[in-house]
Amino acid sequence: MDRDRRKILRFIGKGSVVAAFLGQIGAAGRAFFPNVLYEPPSRFKLKRPADYPEGYTLDAAHRLFVIRQKDAFHVISAICTHLGCNVQWKDTEFDCPCHGSRFRPDGTVIGGPAPRPLEWFATTVSPDGFLDVDSATEVARDFRLIIGGKGKA
Amino acid sequence: MGDKLSALWRKVSWAWSPESERESSEAIVKNFWLHWFPAKVARASMDWNYSFWLGTASAALLLILTVTGVMLMFFYVPSTERAYGSIKDLQYAVSFGRLLRNQHRWAAEGMVAVVYIHMARVFLTGAYRGTRAINWLVGVALLLVTLLLSFTGYLLPWDQLAFWAITVGTSIAKQAPVLGPTIQFILLGGHEIGQQTLLRFYVLHVFFLPVFVLVLFAYHMWRIRKDGGLAVIERVRNDRVMAPKAASKTKSYSLFGITPGTSVQVMSSTGLEESDQVFSSPDLSRRMMLVFLVVFNITLLAALLFNAPLEGLANPSVTPNPAKAPWYFVWLQELVASTTVRLGDFTVSGALLGGILLPGFLLGVLTLWPWLDGSSFRTEGRWLAPERRRQNLTFAIATLAIIVLILVGVYLRGPYWRIYWPGQPRPEMPRLY
Repeated sequence: MDRDRRKILRFIGKGSVVAAFLGQIGAAGRAFFPNVLYEPPSRFKLKRPADYPEGYTLDAAHRLFVIRQKDAFHVISAICTHLGCNVQWKDTEFDCPCHGSRFRPDGTVIGGPAPRPLEWFATTVSPDGFLDVDSATEVARDFRLIIGGKGKA
Repeated sequence: MGDKLSALWRKVSWAWSPESERESSEAIVKNFWLHWFPAKVARASMDWNYSFWLGTASAALLLILTVTGVMLMFFYVPSTERAYGSIKDLQYAVSFGRLLRNQHRWAAEGMVAVVYIHMARVFLTGAYRGTRAINWLVGVALLLVTLLLSFTGYLLPWDQLAFWAITVGTSIAKQAPVLGPTIQFILLGGHEIGQQTLLRFYVLHVFFLPVFVLVLFAYHMWRIRKDGGLAVIERVRNDRVMAPKAASKTKSYSLFGITPGTSVQVMSSTGLEESDQVFSSPDLSRRMMLVFLVVFNITLLAALLFNAPLEGLANPSVTPNPAKAPWYFVWLQELVASTTVRLGDFTVSGALLGGILLPGFLLGVLTLWPWLDGSSFRTEGRWLAPERRRQNLTFAIATLAIIVLILVGVYLRGPYWRIYWPGQPRPEMPRLY
């Protein structure tokens, strides 16, 4: 009886030290996961549709291409699906300077190490008439934003 | 006056230049800087052509890196806005700042090379058998931490090399199964590269990794003594067993060498004869100081002659074309660029295969090698033992493959990571900033 009580007390004593220690480690580890991120939003405005010429236009700041085919617009990410470098548009294909991935004009892979096609971003026109890109939402490769009349949706 | 000065100097320095065998032995006990050495060491382990003193050279580089690194910390600001400027200041505004940074950079690249060649020496002499397997493991860990220190180091200037190395490096980490995205998130301190990222890599570089290296280094040294010195001693001992002699009455001058089961009167702790041994001071201490001096002079000369590279300010909008890793990581860049496997619709990214699985496999084989090695213990401490030819060949081929990949990456890769043979014209790429 006395033995058992000692055992239990010893277990509680040692256990509390171990628990406190593990808890401290856990708390310290948790601090490395930020709760507040000071990052730009994944949804942002570009220029007005009419500001884009026909063809492929790089928006370097947002790391994407705006593609205009007459009244139809779509937006393709410039971030290589392999390891995150910026691909460049070379008249007929996208090429990546880091590991040599190559993509067709619609973003599908021609060759190189890229495992997936370039992402297509959901695009709308904001009420005040700017292209509005949601880089967190992917769309299929038949997506087209048709702007009727003189640059109005 | 002069006599008094020289007497004083003798009081300070006698341990380093003992004038009798008795002083040699006392030096080990009485001098703090010598106390971690045994009183005597095997003559064979002093041989320049056995170890090439590569471990000592690595330690010398570590010392140079620690001193120059702490100096650099007085001038470097780990902020995305000021880091690049503080490096420019070191180059142009701080007296001898450029020299300091150059020496830090060349010593770092030298350390990667020397640590690897040190490992090659240990492998090719079969010096990882028995209890020395533990030190092999510590050595593999030290190689890994050396590479991590280099990686975190070249991120700090916050130039284009730094930014795109973090981009690629953390993207590889993201490919790890299950935990990948979490690892990337915790490394970046968010979803994008920013202030948190720089600060995290900075603290890793100037505190956690160096402390880790120092602990492993201390253990590495301690193990050498516990294992009875360099493996070449086993060769000497094996040769002795082949040619038995009458038991000698040698004894160790220091009591520190006694281990269980060994009596002072019968044999010394290393089981070597007196003629096989030399005093640590001055035979070991002077050679060590010579290696330190030579290594220091080489890095200083390199720092005087060649400037450490610095690319343009980090710019997330523009990837340099081509974006090349430093030479010691280029072979990994070649691997991630060429190991994507496509089977119909099923794709395994080169980032996973060449960036994680293949290096992980290499590291695993390297770690387990002492237990995969089935050769006899008679090969221990012998350069290129015939019995280990297959093993040595395997190591040589793996090393050669890495060197070929490095040469291809450094010399043949041009814009868009395409191969350009020597003489073949390379397209002029506009320099974007």
